[in-house]
Amino acid sequence: MTTQQDFRAMPTPAERAVADVPGPREHLTSPRTQAVLKIQQALVAGARELMAAEGAVELFQPLIGPVTDPGARGAKQVDVDYYGHQYKLMASAILYKQTSLVAFDKVFFIAPNVRLEPLETSSTHRHLAEFHQIDVEFACASRDDAIALAERVVRQAVRKALATQEDALRLIGRDTAKLSAFVEQPFEVLTHAEVLDRLGHPHDPGTEIGWQAEEFISGRAEAPFFIVDYPKGSRGFYDKEDPERPSTLMSFDLIAPESCGEICSGGERESDYVKIVTRMRETGENPAKYGWYLDVVREGIPGSAGFGIGLERLTRWVAGLDSVWQASAYPKVPGVVSP
Amino acid sequence: MSALRAPGFPEQDVRRRAREGGAAVFPAAGQYGESVFGADATAPRDEIDACRLVPPVSMPRRLEKLIELAREPLYSDVSLESSFGGFDAPFPLYLSALGSTRVAAAGCALARQAGRIGLPMVIGENVAPVGGFRSSGKHLALLERIGAYTEAAQGATGGVVVQQSTEDANAEVWNHVYTDPSVRGLMDSGRLAFELKVGQGAKPGLGGLTMVDEETSRRLGGQYAMERLQAGGQVLRCGSPGTFTDEILRQQVHLMRNNYPRARCWVKLPPARDVAAAAAVAWRAGADAVTVDGAEGGTGWAPGVFLDHVGLPLGECLRRIGVPEGTLLASGRVYDGARAVKVLALGARAVGFGRAALVAVDEDPENGLVRFVESLALEMRLLISALGKYAAGEPGPEDLWSPRESPGAVARDGVTGEPPIRHDKREVFA
Repeated sequence: MTTQQDFRAMPTPAERAVADVPGPREHLTSPRTQAVLKIQQALVAGARELMAAEGAVELFQPLIGPVTDPGARGAKQVDVDYYGHQYKLMASAILYKQTSLVAFDKVFFIAPNVRLEPLETSSTHRHLAEFHQIDVEFACASRDDAIALAERVVRQAVRKALATQEDALRLIGRDTAKLSAFVEQPFEVLTHAEVLDRLGHPHDPGTEIGWQAEEFISGRAEAPFFIVDYPKGSRGFYDKEDPERPSTLMSFDLIAPESCGEICSGGERESDYVKIVTRMRETGENPAKYGWYLDVVREGIPGSAGFGIGLERLTRWVAGLDSVWQASAYPKVPGVVSP
Repeated sequence: MSALRAPGFPEQDVRRRAREGGAAVFPAAGQYGESVFGADATAPRDEIDACRLVPPVSMPRRLEKLIELAREPLYSDVSLESSFGGFDAPFPLYLSALGSTRVAAAGCALARQAGRIGLPMVIGENVAPVGGFRSSGKHLALLERIGAYTEAAQGATGGVVVQQSTEDANAEVWNHVYTDPSVRGLMDSGRLAFELKVGQGAKPGLGGLTMVDEETSRRLGGQYAMERLQAGGQVLRCGSPGTFTDEILRQQVHLMRNNYPRARCWVKLPPARDVAAAAAVAWRAGADAVTVDGAEGGTGWAPGVFLDHVGLPLGECLRRIGVPEGTLLASGRVYDGARAVKVLALGARAVGFGRAALVAVDEDPENGLVRFVESLALEMRLLISALGKYAAGEPGPEDLWSPRESPGAVARDGVTGEPPIRHDKREVFA
């Protein structure tokens, strides 16, 4: 936990050193890396168990498509030449999650994502250019349903790791009693405005919580907690605007304690064609490039809610790691040339 | 000097400035002692040109400056240093957006000179989508211009502003720039901004238009509308203007600030009838600067009917905006110090110019823009000091006289119908 009293005094990403990632052989043969990867597998197994109990169907996310999630702040998408057509590597599964609900009411993916994040994120300890998400979407669910479900997934995943990877957790020196205590209590829910108040210093109310500020509040948290009601303009077009409170999104983040920051984002989704096209314009998007998705939406998709848990971020927190790259076998820190 | 022509624009005046710098502010030296000079008899082109800058006799501000300096102030005591849109600049001037049309191929020569004198520079839409961004390590059009600017930059002033319009979002222009290692220096020094292009002066209501060859047409056909106006000729590439409402504009500004916290946010508005309301939306959403381009503004390509019949003149845009809530930048046929100072007096924090820059760099690719700016700066110092003021931000509506105010003058100039520009700021902008 940080002892800083003011998030503005913390070094900015630009002032921090870029992660010093070892070569692949050194990284892979390290007993610590091996322990972390086993813990990660236990987390995935725990999540899959819970999804099975909920009756969700696991699908495999396409790797490429004509369009992908534009909602990642400042990150560049990766172009692929698909027989002369410009395709993208997936930055998230959101478009496919929503459309898959025409087949099944409850779906999930363990999905690889690629986002060429801004270079300054190379020193945040929590950004990777290539990562995985436990991506969940349930039809006819509300935001509260999704929040409760995300809490159950995290709890079950951590319980599974604690139950099956005691040796690995001991090897890396994780305090398992503390970890268990974190997830056995209910996760608090705070609004975006309440969190800004707790910062004690001015922060733009109209944007995402900055990386430093988020690390700061995470460092002071006693347990994982949710932040709800992000302002419109801070998220992609698919997060639903609260009909009762315009300019407020029915979205949420899950913040892990111990300075790890956000490990999950989600929300109730927009499913109405007219609202989706309008929101696309509000997010600066050209609807023409979303042709296939809008064709499906125009014929009707169910309302839904869901979330994506960053697998490497979850692993980092559970294993008590300094940096998220330590939770990947082949880490790609933004801007760092690596295998 | 190449074949560049700027019909309807005082091209020869700009060329002389590009050749002679400050000397161009005065009549040709050879005429001294042999000619007498009076006001130009040609009719003013628009309301701003028709206005005159009118110094008072009583100058309390000059007295303050005299006390500060302990001597009589001169025009050289006028400080033109300015801060606008997040940048510091040596003059209240910036280089307006130049896009991907062939005439804008002078982009790198302009960028080098703008970088040299720390003049903020806007790079127009289409440059990356049409010219490409980066190919096997090679910097294409957009990065090439940014590189030319930063390599020539000598101080900490100025900055680069990158536009994006609707279809450019497909090409992720801003995401590319924001993540590119070559732009990091600009970003770390706070000298990068993104400009949301809502529209432009010469063709309000239309998107970007560029003539492209057959190969480019095939490459971009999936992304833009293409119109073949005549067989065998070039193909017109038509960008869409994009759909805006108050809420769409507000949220796009929010998103820019959210996604690119280390870049400043500029918004460029066309000379639309609701320009004042749109500017207020952008400022309240957090735009660092709002640029208004008057209908007199230049363009690389536009239908003649738009040049002659569409959009508000810059003077009317500024009148409708009144006292700006935030940083207002303005452009539209700016080519001399008088027009620049008048636009400042009407509320702009800085003045943009585009065609003048193209002509200047066409006259002399190495020094034309630098000399042109020198001539403007000298003229602005002379004018502002004559008003009894000593900083770029000091001229106001009280310094302007419009012939529309006087019935006799109205009849003489044949200008009718419009309400006058009045002197009292509160009255004008209530």
